[in-house]
Amino acid sequence: MKRSYLLTIISASVLLVVPLLLAALLSSKGLLSQLDARNLSPSWNHLFGTDWLGRDMLTRTMKGLALSIGVGTAASISSAIIACILGLIAATLGKTADRIITWLIDCFLSVPHLVLLILIAFAAGGGMKGVILALALTHWPSLARLLRAEILAMKVAPYVIISKQLGKSSWWIATRHMLPHLLPQFIVGALLMFPHAILHEAALTFLGMGLSPHQPAIGIILSESMKYISAGMWWLAVFPGLCLFIVVRAFDMLARSLYSIIDPSRARQ
Amino acid sequence: MIRKYVVASITLLAILVAGCASQGNNHLQEGKTRPQPAELVLAIGGEPAEGFDPTTGWGRYGSPLFQSTLFKRDSQLNIIGDAAVSYTISDDGLSWQVELREDIEFSDETPLTAEDVVFTFETAQRNASVVDLTNVRSITALSTYQVQFELEKAQSSFIDLLTTIGIVPKHAYSDRYAQQPIGSGPYKLVQWEKGQQLIVEQNERYYGPQSSFKRLVFLFLDEDASLAAAKAGKVHIVAVPSTFSKQNINGMKLKAVQSVDNRGIMFPYQPEGNSTAEGYPIGNAVTSELAIRQAMNIAIDRELLVEGVLEGYGTPAYSVNDQLPWWNEASVVQDADPDAAMKLLADGGWYDSDGDGILEKNGVKAQFTLLYPAGDSIRQSLAIAVADMIKPIGISIQAEGKSWDEIGRLMYSQPVMLGWGSLDPLEMYHVYSSSYAGVGYFNPGYYSNDTVDQYMKAALEAVDMEQAHELWKKAQWDGTTGLSTKGDAPWAWLVNIDHLYYTYEQLDIGEQPIHPHGHGWPITSNIDQWKWVE
Repeated sequence: MKRSYLLTIISASVLLVVPLLLAALLSSKGLLSQLDARNLSPSWNHLFGTDWLGRDMLTRTMKGLALSIGVGTAASISSAIIACILGLIAATLGKTADRIITWLIDCFLSVPHLVLLILIAFAAGGGMKGVILALALTHWPSLARLLRAEILAMKVAPYVIISKQLGKSSWWIATRHMLPHLLPQFIVGALLMFPHAILHEAALTFLGMGLSPHQPAIGIILSESMKYISAGMWWLAVFPGLCLFIVVRAFDMLARSLYSIIDPSRARQ
Repeated sequence: MIRKYVVASITLLAILVAGCASQGNNHLQEGKTRPQPAELVLAIGGEPAEGFDPTTGWGRYGSPLFQSTLFKRDSQLNIIGDAAVSYTISDDGLSWQVELREDIEFSDETPLTAEDVVFTFETAQRNASVVDLTNVRSITALSTYQVQFELEKAQSSFIDLLTTIGIVPKHAYSDRYAQQPIGSGPYKLVQWEKGQQLIVEQNERYYGPQSSFKRLVFLFLDEDASLAAAKAGKVHIVAVPSTFSKQNINGMKLKAVQSVDNRGIMFPYQPEGNSTAEGYPIGNAVTSELAIRQAMNIAIDRELLVEGVLEGYGTPAYSVNDQLPWWNEASVVQDADPDAAMKLLADGGWYDSDGDGILEKNGVKAQFTLLYPAGDSIRQSLAIAVADMIKPIGISIQAEGKSWDEIGRLMYSQPVMLGWGSLDPLEMYHVYSSSYAGVGYFNPGYYSNDTVDQYMKAALEAVDMEQAHELWKKAQWDGTTGLSTKGDAPWAWLVNIDHLYYTYEQLDIGEQPIHPHGHGWPITSNIDQWKWVE
């Protein structure tokens, strides 16, 4: 069982590394327009075809995916950190703090995610900076709530109470009892944020958000391709769309398999 | 688990492929069986946000559809009478007398008289919109069918104003006029659902030849929705961007109409520092440099832009008025020459001292943002293509799509992909004259050159048309200075765009004149000649 999880983790990681490697290896010349090689359907020279300006779609897609993965990483890490801090504060600093943070979480969760993203992206002045900021600031609530609940539950768990009665210090309890329980939740929670963040990045860039059309972001590629689908240029949407799908799925599988391996309750399976 | 995803992906792919494959089909029958209705459905875009009031700019490129103009142009661009029969000009060029037709009625059955003409021009003057009547001192009705225009200064292009301003009825003019226009043109408005459609019906009281179409329905659709509607057989005539020119639509043919509808890059001409009365910054440290503007003009390969972005449906543009009688051919520069451009830049003091591929001069990097209206695919493609063409000579351009509102605030300090194109030399005056600096979309770059201003003023005031044309030509390039690329190069003109339409094969849209800029449906200017043919 564990072996199949490991296999999934390895193959998913490979799937994620491929676009990063390709993005680094492919020359950015493919991003420049080449008007004499436009509207080419996929061929050996241009595996994903070229767009209406003769830009190589393979290069654009891979650079776009690398950007998405980068943005997703930045957003997930910062969101996870925010979630961790807020979860800890809520669970340990008394009732008022808990109430405020729970209210904040509810607030964030009650507004449709995309609306919040757009608001923050605009407030931050648009552009890539706005997109990253919006993604970083909106993905923490679910994880924060989860961590808070876990800590609250552990505080009244028999083994924690017994440890306390045996005179163990809070630090000892926190590091020996709580952390091993929280870590898997935290890591998996952070990893599961990736696909969300990437999809939201695609959604935001799809809507524009003041990004330059030179920027090979996957959402921009997809939104631009919409105009040309009716002209029969299917490859503009299909390949980038499929790649986005694969990357998101790979992250999802990676996170779930990892969870299965490091989850203490399933450790003996 | 994995199998489930594989199955799902294959299904998804199958749906996509099926969707692509079914595109070639459409619901149209073969041409012969197609009905030939008296109602014509058009998807040609160009919905005027301000409505249909000629005194605020509706129909400023001619053919206002609901209203008559005093004169109009035929397909050879000759001036012919519309609501007027003739005009005479006094020797000093200051007084224009126009004789009206006596048999014209508005669609509400009241006659069109000199009073209405006076009212129209006075209202337009008061509104001070894009219609420029500042040179008109007074308008008087000499009799019921005689109007006299007194000008401040002689104006050779005044006749062009008389071909573009539609006559509105004095008795039926109100604040709501733009929404509910009444006029004496070939059609009258029935219903306007903003952003969706406009339905117009034939005006039975129209004095000219009646069109064969009782009703016209204008659909306001996006570029690709228009194409989809054409493929579904829902529209009889549809305007398309050149991207769609390679389509095969069953039962429809592609018609390319030559135009002076041009696209080019407007450069902010002034150095940074000032701001407009509203507080928007004026000037740009990079584009205020002559070497930058001229080098870009020389480096751009216009033929390639026509071929690559317009699919060959267009011509290279070197000025705002290519091929028109007042165009100065001597102002054309040899383009697609990056080496000459680089030399020009080096002579201008631009060097790449830090090796990043971008030139610098006095600490200023040769980079700027080029704005274009988001949603206009041709302007976007032009912007990106130009940016990539210019990169090798060391100028870095970031193209950025913005709404017209945002462009309206930024255009004084950032280059914009704009378009003009009129059959009236007055446009050159609007675009380049320092007295129009920062007025609406006219001359947002605050270009100014005293010599050019003087030539243009003299051209406007010339009584003789030939003499006026000579002066317009000198304003472009007189051998030492001018508004063209050889001179100050405040613009980099790129292409003239052919207007492309798919029409039903049996629909004959007559002989089209050279089209001006898109606004105002130039294609309908000869609607009375449109007919179904076998």
